[in-house]
Amino acid sequence: MASAPSKLYSGLSLALSTIFFFFKVVEGLDSVIADDVSLVVVLLDTNPFFWTTSSFPFSHFLSHVLAFLNAILTLNQLNQVVIIATGCNSCDYVYDSSKTANQSFGNGRMPTLCATLLQNLEEFMTKDEKLGIEEAEERITGSLLSGSLSMALCYIQRVFRSGSLHPQPRILCLQGSPDGPEQYVAIMNAIFSAQRSMVPIDSCYIGVQNSAFLQQASYITGGVHHKPQQLDGLFQYLLTIFATDLHSRSFLQLPKPVGVDFRASCFCHKNTIDMGYICSVCLSIFCTRHKKCSTCGSTFGQAQSDDASATNRKRKAPDS
Amino acid sequence: MPQVKIIAKNFMDMVASLTARDLDNLYQNPFICEAILRSLPPLAKKYVLQMLYIEGSVLAKSMEEWVLADGFTKHRVAIDRLVQLRIFSEEKKKETSYRLNPTFQTNLQKHLIYGGALPREPMPSNVTVRLPTLEELEAYALGQWECFLLQLISSAQAEKPTNFSSSMMKVFQRGLLIQRDKESPRLSESGFQFLLMDTSAQLWYIIREYISNSQERGVNQADLISFLLELSFHVAGEAYNVNTLSELQKNMIKDFADLGLVKLQQGRKDSWFIPTKLATSLSISLTDSSSRKEGFVVVETNFRIYAYSTSKLHCEILRLFSRIEYQLPNLIVGAITKESLYNAFDNGITADQIIAFLQQNAHPRVAERVPSVPENVCDQIRLWESDLNRVEATPAYFYDEFPSRDVFEAACDYARDRSGLLWEDSKKMRLAVKAETHTHMREFLRGQS
Repeated sequence: MASAPSKLYSGLSLALSTIFFFFKVVEGLDSVIADDVSLVVVLLDTNPFFWTTSSFPFSHFLSHVLAFLNAILTLNQLNQVVIIATGCNSCDYVYDSSKTANQSFGNGRMPTLCATLLQNLEEFMTKDEKLGIEEAEERITGSLLSGSLSMALCYIQRVFRSGSLHPQPRILCLQGSPDGPEQYVAIMNAIFSAQRSMVPIDSCYIGVQNSAFLQQASYITGGVHHKPQQLDGLFQYLLTIFATDLHSRSFLQLPKPVGVDFRASCFCHKNTIDMGYICSVCLSIFCTRHKKCSTCGSTFGQAQSDDASATNRKRKAPDS
Repeated sequence: MPQVKIIAKNFMDMVASLTARDLDNLYQNPFICEAILRSLPPLAKKYVLQMLYIEGSVLAKSMEEWVLADGFTKHRVAIDRLVQLRIFSEEKKKETSYRLNPTFQTNLQKHLIYGGALPREPMPSNVTVRLPTLEELEAYALGQWECFLLQLISSAQAEKPTNFSSSMMKVFQRGLLIQRDKESPRLSESGFQFLLMDTSAQLWYIIREYISNSQERGVNQADLISFLLELSFHVAGEAYNVNTLSELQKNMIKDFADLGLVKLQQGRKDSWFIPTKLATSLSISLTDSSSRKEGFVVVETNFRIYAYSTSKLHCEILRLFSRIEYQLPNLIVGAITKESLYNAFDNGITADQIIAFLQQNAHPRVAERVPSVPENVCDQIRLWESDLNRVEATPAYFYDEFPSRDVFEAACDYARDRSGLLWEDSKKMRLAVKAETHTHMREFLRGQS
């Protein structure tokens, strides 16, 4: 995590590990959801490394998403949309419908959505690019999904605390870039805190290979994961699947997970592995044998037969 | 029982009962399309969105595959609603299929892609002198509404009379007040229930009465509905020029000002109207969603009520079922007593309504608690109510001197099957049946002999 480029990010990852332990289940959430008023936090992948290689241009993608956001806001006057841009060096809020609704632009609410969103997005992209140039020596081409996820959760926590009459929140990840295994711990922490506060994470993956992180996020939090087959029809996918409010979800057929990629990343080299060593105290995952757990500091006892573990090291878990 | 409630909830039924031509005309206006979409049940909204870009019709069978088995009744309700409002048209060739109303469809499509504009441009700020802040506007709206309500329930109490003609007021009062000869009018049973409803439900009740009354005055219902729904898309707190309205709308806007929906202001040259929160939230309250308003009442286990309110109306409402002990500038203190409750029960208010009112209006501090109204208070209110219902009187007919035991038993069975048997004494062969089964019983006994 120390190699993370921006200040914002390292601050956030620190906050995350504390959030994971101190989240309280908000009371009253388990009560039956009676209405369809919803707060949708959309995480928009703006990673230029992905969009330059994608066959589906960013401008098309954005026009689909804008129409989708209009649709969400049309469904209910109390619906709220927040957009967080996920860049490759930073992430930021680019639109919040509750703030702009009160501002009286001369040309009305809906055009305001487009205008503010595009303007903020452009500002964000230039800022993000500058940050990238400063940290040029170690280029990370993944998106900071963990950062934007935790920003979304922070926003939702604030909504929860604003009183009992808050809309039903959910998170929608529109992600195209491949998983960054180095963010594994931070993302898993975010997923678990979303699970504890009962916020479903929906995910729509528009990249080439499917994302294991997003599959797990939706699976654990009870959201919907989908990878559209035809990107030209993205709008229809978004409307049919992701516009469904939490109340209606109990009555509608939605895509079910066909097999979730549960592989984890090790804490030491951030490799994606399906077999490894686990600390029996704090459940940290390692791809090689260690004398001491780097997370909780507990010392591992000597394995019973050293030579056996050397030949068969993937299967052997260290005894504590 | 709660007749008023049903009326208030189903404003959309009134829209649905418009003629097909009126409805199709309504959909010419994109704002109406949006407002109607918002008023639909959640599942129906979903279907409209899903069908929005499908040209042509979709088979009813394939739509049924969208829902899980649990949601089938909801699915039927949604489809019925859409057909009723003529948003879906049914096509029956070999199999039933549905398609979206083309005008509705194009209007919504445009709305999603280009984004809607406002119904009319707000006036530039250099023309309007000083606009009220949102807080001032909200206070104004609530004040206006309460003043109207006070006048409605007792004309003498209102501080300043509204512009509504007394005939109009009579229309509103119809059903809420009863006047026995020579006595001053008092609240009827449904009047009390009306007072206990939340503001938006009350507002819709009044508006419904207003609209159905307007037809008698020769104003088209569809015009009124469309203007009302359009009004809810204006921005609260912005000024709009009155001259942009038609003659008919100018007349209506004056009435709406009395209800607190808009505030009218007069400049040097122009006059303008400023929509309040009450107006802009009209289309929210069309759905069945739970009311989103902060409460003010704290009930303690010792039957005391503390109401943090400055409103005279709240005080009047509390007086319906409790004894008001003192009134401080921002606090009303009362107690629920047996006498005050008996008073309420006499007026036709039920225990459940009182408890529901206390729960809905619970102060945010106690609303977090479960239950928000102490259990012992709820139980006692219900007990006092059931005290009154210990003896039940039912009109009945009494039969005796049966010729034989067989006839008697056949008669008993017959009455029991029609659930009309109240009492039987098989030794002396006597029985009593409800008055409404008497005619059948007589026929039956005639056939026996």
